[in-house]
Amino acid sequence: MARWRFNLPLLLLAALQPWLALAEHSFENTAIVRTVELGGALVHVTTTYAIKALEDGSSVYTLAIPRDEHQKTSWLEVKIKGQSAILPLDLVGQDIKTGILYYAAELPKPLKLNATTNLVVETVQTHATYPWPAEAGQKDPQSLKYETELLVLSPYVTAVQRTKIRTPSPQVHSFTKPEGLEAFTLEDPVTKSGATLTYGPYKNIPQSTSEDFVEDKQKRVTVHYECDFPVIEISKLTRAAEISHWGANLNIEDNIVLHNGGPKLKGHFSRLEHQSSAYFGRSPPHVIPGMTLHLPAGIQNVYYYDFIGNVSTSRLRTAPSVPKGSPSTQFSVLELKPRYPVLGGWNYSFTLGWDSPLRDSAGYDSKTGKWVVAIPVMTPIPSAVIDQAEVKIVLPEGATDFDFYPPFPASMNEVASHITYLDTIGRPTITLHYNQLTDKHSGIIYVTYRVPFSAHMKKPLAVATAFIGVFVLALTWRRVDTRIQRQK
Amino acid sequence: MTTKAYALPSDLSPATVTNTTSLLRIIALAFISGAAIASRLFAVINFESIIHEFDPWFNYRATRVLVADGFYEFWNWFDPTAWYPLGRVVGGTVYPGLMATSGVIYKILHALNLPVDIRNICVLLAPGFSSLTAWSTYMFTKELKDESAGLLAAAFIGIVPGYISRSVAGSYDNEAIAIFLLMFTFFNWIKALKTGSAFFGTIAALFYFYMVAAWGGYAFITNMIPLHALALLLMGRYSSRLYVAYSSWYAVGTLASMQVPFVGFQPVRTSEHMAALGVFGLLQIIAFAELVRSHVSSKQFQTLLYASVIGLGFLGTLAIIGLTYKGWIAPWTGRFYSLWDTGYAKKYIPIIASVSEHQPTAWPSFFMDLQFLIFLFPAGVVMCFRELRDEHVFVIIYAIVASYFAGVMVRLMLTLTPVVCVAAAIAFSTVLDTYINPVEPEAPADEAASSEVNSVASDVTNPSTPTPVSKKSKKAVKDSSASSTTGPFGDLVASVTSGKSGKKGERSFGVFGLDTRLVVIFHAIGMLIFFVWHCTWVTSNAYSSPSVVLASSNPDGSQHIIDDFREAYYWLRQNTPETAVVMSWWDYGYQIAGMADRPTLVDNNTWNNTHIATVGKAMSSSEEVAYPILRKHDVDYVLVIFGGLIGYSGDDINKFLWMVRIAQGVWPDEIQEPNYFTRKGEYKIDDEASPTMKNSLMYKMSYYRYAELFGGGQALDRVRGQQVPKTGPTLDYLDEAFTSENWIVRIYEVKKEDLLGRDLKSANAFAQGKKRKRTKPASRRKALL
Repeated sequence: MARWRFNLPLLLLAALQPWLALAEHSFENTAIVRTVELGGALVHVTTTYAIKALEDGSSVYTLAIPRDEHQKTSWLEVKIKGQSAILPLDLVGQDIKTGILYYAAELPKPLKLNATTNLVVETVQTHATYPWPAEAGQKDPQSLKYETELLVLSPYVTAVQRTKIRTPSPQVHSFTKPEGLEAFTLEDPVTKSGATLTYGPYKNIPQSTSEDFVEDKQKRVTVHYECDFPVIEISKLTRAAEISHWGANLNIEDNIVLHNGGPKLKGHFSRLEHQSSAYFGRSPPHVIPGMTLHLPAGIQNVYYYDFIGNVSTSRLRTAPSVPKGSPSTQFSVLELKPRYPVLGGWNYSFTLGWDSPLRDSAGYDSKTGKWVVAIPVMTPIPSAVIDQAEVKIVLPEGATDFDFYPPFPASMNEVASHITYLDTIGRPTITLHYNQLTDKHSGIIYVTYRVPFSAHMKKPLAVATAFIGVFVLALTWRRVDTRIQRQK
Repeated sequence: MTTKAYALPSDLSPATVTNTTSLLRIIALAFISGAAIASRLFAVINFESIIHEFDPWFNYRATRVLVADGFYEFWNWFDPTAWYPLGRVVGGTVYPGLMATSGVIYKILHALNLPVDIRNICVLLAPGFSSLTAWSTYMFTKELKDESAGLLAAAFIGIVPGYISRSVAGSYDNEAIAIFLLMFTFFNWIKALKTGSAFFGTIAALFYFYMVAAWGGYAFITNMIPLHALALLLMGRYSSRLYVAYSSWYAVGTLASMQVPFVGFQPVRTSEHMAALGVFGLLQIIAFAELVRSHVSSKQFQTLLYASVIGLGFLGTLAIIGLTYKGWIAPWTGRFYSLWDTGYAKKYIPIIASVSEHQPTAWPSFFMDLQFLIFLFPAGVVMCFRELRDEHVFVIIYAIVASYFAGVMVRLMLTLTPVVCVAAAIAFSTVLDTYINPVEPEAPADEAASSEVNSVASDVTNPSTPTPVSKKSKKAVKDSSASSTTGPFGDLVASVTSGKSGKKGERSFGVFGLDTRLVVIFHAIGMLIFFVWHCTWVTSNAYSSPSVVLASSNPDGSQHIIDDFREAYYWLRQNTPETAVVMSWWDYGYQIAGMADRPTLVDNNTWNNTHIATVGKAMSSSEEVAYPILRKHDVDYVLVIFGGLIGYSGDDINKFLWMVRIAQGVWPDEIQEPNYFTRKGEYKIDDEASPTMKNSLMYKMSYYRYAELFGGGQALDRVRGQQVPKTGPTLDYLDEAFTSENWIVRIYEVKKEDLLGRDLKSANAFAQGKKRKRTKPASRRKALL
């Protein structure tokens, strides 16, 4: 499990320095290969470190991430190549002078002297690209720019490293040809073949996290490329999940603010051009005509509306619900279409919700007497970034001893009470806040709670009491003579 | 001892009978309420829970403000986004009853922890109130005849299309609650009049106040009740009951109605309300005269008194006329005149005439809206003449007045509908009473009976005479039962009798036998069944379209929703600055404010004719003329409705002549209607269209790049059925900003002034690389020579 972005106190430089000095001698990078998969809103970076232990029993490997890259990174995960276990990762601190952040990855078992292994560091960067030109006409292609540092920094000596940048299409308008790299390579510092740019190999790189190295040797690289799918940004996602034991129902409702982060539309939208390009099947890449979402299987009563009512432009194919525990890849497929095609810079906000049988995602643990309910953090939207997310879980009225286990820590969470349909004391509500979610973040929040039988009976009792009250009042009213003067 | 046509159970205690009937009545009313609500839900089931049409969007928006900000904020609400740049004092120019009702319901439900969305309350308010209307019609009719007529009336009004047309789910308009208030006020008025009770008079006044707060049509009550009182006075039916009922209603009702800001001092200062005041004064004088008369016996004095009463009444009328002349009392408004002269509005206030619901009613719509009730209606009114108690006079007056108004204006069909239901229910229940009543008259002799029955039948074919003429038949009527065969169904009776005369003598045959009864009742039930069928059909087909969403069908028969309006409005809402001013024809003002949340120039609250005419002028002039108007009004976007592509006939080109007419009313020198016709006097948009038409902003915006859609083929306008010119219009001062999927809504952005100070036309020509005309260089060469 990737644990990062804790609000850890930053270690002072003084405290950091001995740590690094210590670290320097434990490993050597025999090779570093960084692969940058360019996209629209998301950029996937996979860095493979082939490491060799220089000391016996080395078990903590330190990763260095430059500050601006760290700001863009919203997902960080370290694995041993070929293994699925995720290594524990701790933020050690930040070097204030260079701005580099250090993470310590703990290897599953300490390496012996000269033993080697391969570490795979996967990161997802959000908002790392920007449209260039910033405005584009309706028929124009969409071009984006991506900037990154040329060299992968490491507190260890690196024998050889290269950076591969893969663009979504072979159309690369321009890329930086770094100069002054004679110390590391004598060949062409960059080669392009197809949709792949390869920087390197650069050899014999010393320990590169020092201030001198960052200032002298580090270079910035810019790639200007064509992107043939839209830059989907979700400015805000508010998910409300309501658990109802009476209705045996889990209702999930998403409020989504969609934004096209591609180049702003130059001039105006012409329906004629839109229709003719759709007719000829040459839809411009920066238009979001719709999205295909994978909703859970077995859902019912799906609704899709916005502020002014139902949106009737979508199609849904539901899959029957699958027995719990069986490994199923069935989804209900929703072809969601906004009211209008979302062009560059346009917004569209909407609400999407559905009911699903509670038994599909809930289980009763008879040992502890607790219910366990699984609630997905979000519906994955391919290649989209969610800037702000708020997941609100409404437990049944009268639920006690509740606890929640998010797949990754939230930036903020709160517990409150929510009063809705005929509630008397309100329902406990857990709200989790997240920032910068990507397609990697489609985890599941587990919530456990206890509901006593009396809590279930609270609502019918309250309603019955209210009705009896009304009837008694009516009965009395019929039988009481309110006349001042008795008529004969 | 009378004979019975069929056996009745005889071993029931009276208490059981009363309890059972009252239980059955409650069940029947519950079912009627259910049917009334259910038949109004077609719109929700076929489409969705959405606010319909135009005015409801404003009511909905106002309700949201009321619910969000509270009543006092709503009361003081000044809306700067409407009638830009003038703004609108909404709190003071609105009938708040509807919004307050929804607001109260919303607050109650939320206090009970039932978080119902305010939209759903607004959508379902009209069906909910329709069940209350059914109940109040039941109470009203019960006062006129009996419970069974009441139940019939309730069932009729519950499903009659004439009322459903204004109260389907989503049609969140004042009329939704007003008809209930109308019927309930009338019920209380009749009750007060019957009992002489100040309590019911005050209840009537309170509901009158509610009505004033809810609908501008309250003037109908304001004039109906005085008219009724006056008629009773003229019939010599003055009584202390009338005095108490009227005085308590008028005094409390008028004072209460003046609390509504939009009404204010109108009840004492406008001509529409003078009848009520006049009758109130007259009643005081007459009451005083009656008082004096009861104490003074001299005959001369009485004569003098009558003379002075008439004199005072005359003086009062003169005073009102004088005050009107001096301007203290506002004269009749134009809307009022248009009720008397249907051509008036078209001549002087085209803005009223341009609304389709203000047109005179077409005859078929009476049948469409009322079906067989319209045939029973006169019969019911005639039935009222037979008894002619005070409340029957009311129904007769109501029937006459409402019939007239329904003929003048389509929308006033609504006020006719309740009285039609009441009268038809009276007639229908009389028929049923007659034929279900098991009491048989004793037949004196076989042959005499035959002739007698025939004479009864022939007598009742002339039903306008309230008392039977011949003594023989009178006896026959008395013999049979209190409620005997009457009404236009006498003909039916006669025909049935003549057909069955041969089989007389046996118990279950003949005019009093079971067969005749079954035939009539069978037909009556058949009529009811056809009525229900018709109502359902009309409701589902004609009155349940939200008009914001259009429906068509796919080739496979499934429903296809055309949602262009909301597409465009939502685009405006999400992708334009919040202060962007949108200009459109006034029909769409409320929808833009409600759905797009953007300032509009004009909207459906057509209070400022000049402002509307300004928009009309901008739409009907050429770009060069319109541009300064648009810029002076800070217009950022212009929105037009164009139905040419899919054949949506309610578009702006079809409304265009009204824009021209309204603009012509204010600028007769600049805009002239004949210029928009071809030489032959036809209204065309093809090659033959007049140059003024082709240069008008509306024409250009509607057909901009339309011909290109057909890719060189002949472009067709499906609404007008005409060919659109191949070279479409060009725009220099506007830019196409958005066009909806089916091209129904087209939005144009108004360009800002050219930065280099050129006029936009030459700037555009320069940008397109067109050379300047050769005139200038040529003249320079000349100068060189």
